[in-house]
Amino acid sequence: MGLLAAALAVGLGALGAGIGNGLIVSKTVEGIARQPEARGVLQTTMFIGVALVEALPIIAVVIAFIVMGR
Amino acid sequence: MENLRQIHNRQKRALFFLLAMLALGWGFSSWPTVFAGLILGVLFGLYNFWILTRRMERFDRAVAEGERAPSLGSGLRFASGIAAAAIALSLPETFNLIATVIGLMIPYLFLLIERIISQLKHPDPGGKER
Repeated sequence: MGLLAAALAVGLGALGAGIGNGLIVSKTVEGIARQPEARGVLQTTMFIGVALVEALPIIAVVIAFIVMGR
Repeated sequence: MENLRQIHNRQKRALFFLLAMLALGWGFSSWPTVFAGLILGVLFGLYNFWILTRRMERFDRAVAEGERAPSLGSGLRFASGIAAAAIALSLPETFNLIATVIGLMIPYLFLLIERIISQLKHPDPGGKER
């Protein structure tokens, strides 16, 4: 049961992060292609977005690891 | 809006200050395991942050030069989170596990707070910069 819980935690967390990161990166690349002079601003926004999106899956992975160890 | 390096440097300074405070707590308070866990978590969080900044710069360079974009290093960050938890799990008499997980998330909390304050101080009216 612990393994199933860990798999669900990692899988669902990574699914959300994957979709979120994909959307952020695709829109940033689109923006840079449209307006190359706005690269710096877009890069900073992307950095903050990716950092905040990834916080939750990292917690999910850590919790899954802890659950697996029990 | 500042660039990546400036944000990273400011975060680094704030986190080193926090680490100094936590070291004081570890040395002089009656909960050394909690403070040691927080220090461990913040160190790994700082490492995660550094990887993110480096990968982001590499990604930006690749996009600008039209090369194939490298990965953003999510796997590496997940692995460093697991490493922090593994250290805390294997040494429970030294590191508190919950404090380690909380410490791992402190840099992200700092980033969020710093960006909110920065946005309040220098609002970007209607995306004029863009």
